[in-house]
Amino acid sequence: MTTAAFLSLLQGAGVTLVLSGAGIALGVPLGLLLGLIRWGRVPVLSPIVMVYVSLLRSTPAVTLCLLIFFAIPTMGIDIGPWTASVLTLGLNTAAFNCEIWRSGLNNFSPDQLEAARSFGMTPALRFRRIIFPQLWRACLPGLVNEMTLLIKSSPAIAVVGVVEITRAATRIGAQTYDPLPPMLVATGIYIVLIVVFVGLQRLTERLYGQAGAAA
Amino acid sequence: MVEHVGSTNPECVLDIRGLTKSFGTNVVLDGVSLTVERGKTVCLLGPSGSGKSTLLRCVNFLEKPDQGSIYLSGRRIGMREGGVIPMSTSELAQARARIGMVFQHFNLWPHLTVLQNLIEAPIHVQRRSRDEVVAEAEMLLERVGLTDKKDVFPNRLSGGQKQRVGIARALAMKPELLLFDEPTSALDPELVGEVVAVMKTLAEGGSTMLVVTHEMGFARETANEVVLMDGGRVVEKGQPSEFFTNPKTDRARQFLQRYVSA
Repeated sequence: MTTAAFLSLLQGAGVTLVLSGAGIALGVPLGLLLGLIRWGRVPVLSPIVMVYVSLLRSTPAVTLCLLIFFAIPTMGIDIGPWTASVLTLGLNTAAFNCEIWRSGLNNFSPDQLEAARSFGMTPALRFRRIIFPQLWRACLPGLVNEMTLLIKSSPAIAVVGVVEITRAATRIGAQTYDPLPPMLVATGIYIVLIVVFVGLQRLTERLYGQAGAAA
Repeated sequence: MVEHVGSTNPECVLDIRGLTKSFGTNVVLDGVSLTVERGKTVCLLGPSGSGKSTLLRCVNFLEKPDQGSIYLSGRRIGMREGGVIPMSTSELAQARARIGMVFQHFNLWPHLTVLQNLIEAPIHVQRRSRDEVVAEAEMLLERVGLTDKKDVFPNRLSGGQKQRVGIARALAMKPELLLFDEPTSALDPELVGEVVAVMKTLAEGGSTMLVVTHEMGFARETANEVVLMDGGRVVEKGQPSEFFTNPKTDRARQFLQRYVSA
């Protein structure tokens, strides 16, 4: 494998990282919003979110990506492959994150919230000062797990022409008639990416873990 | 004894009038009226299921009463003046901040240290200055004997220590009224004393307190008035000396036989 081939794989890794990062940045807060709507049983919205989660969970990423890429332009909105990719990853992961946040919220002790209410905290203040600081710590392992799944499902976006790691590797293999080396390198890159994510999780838990000690 | 003085009596901190509350078909409060005057301690006694905890939780609208009214220092709680329109979320929050509450299961916030538990609401709800609140919180911790625990997380404390933090946390709000919901019921017997001691100091120091308790010793020695509830109604109220030695109703006699046998 040539240096040029290796560099193009690294470029693919950059694309995977940027698009996955953008998908996470979209999907984690969106998932929290959806989870809160379900947890708070917000009228009208809550059943809609339930349907959304069911649909997204049962749609493969490739299908979703094609759907977004071809369906949204018919509504008169111009959408490129990058935007379609970020939307695919973000909307898909949001559905799973919704369930992670929701289970964290369901496990939250009602006693603490009652104390917060009786001390005159408004719902927004309760969320910001009491719920969220504990919730994110409890949900972090689940969220990071979902992030690693997202990175590994990201090759789906190659279907709209984005050259990420796997796509770059298949290209090199097709050019050299020797697919094994680029595939091995690609696998190595995925492993490194996942190890970094999990390492960041460990680090975060070590830095902020103490204050989240179980009730 | 004068009842229903309420807002006309400046010494009346809490005035509950004709409160009713049902859960489904189960009537929990059946027209309860009660007053607590400034600096007085009233103990609510009664068998479990008699509605005393629900009454306490209605006072700060953790439970919404079906009917009746509650006045705190002459101002209606839960409803705007006139009693037709419910308070908005933020109005209700402001009203609740005037009432301190101590819970049976402490309900401390586990992600905050002892000191942070105390200063949380004064800073973020009452928007008082941090320095002032911290100084006061440290004094309160000294009063409940927990100065050395101020930077510790609640899971490191014993039940008695947790409840003393719970009391200090309520006091940090400088409340007009303190509500205690069975503050010693979740404690090991040998830890009850330290919490009761703190509550006595408060009562003697002029705090206005409404206490749901099974600690007959506390009620007898410290309360200015005891109120016996049963089946969602007040069945007897009076001075503790009178109530414990010479109860007027059969229900009170029956209750005392069971709870003060020792």
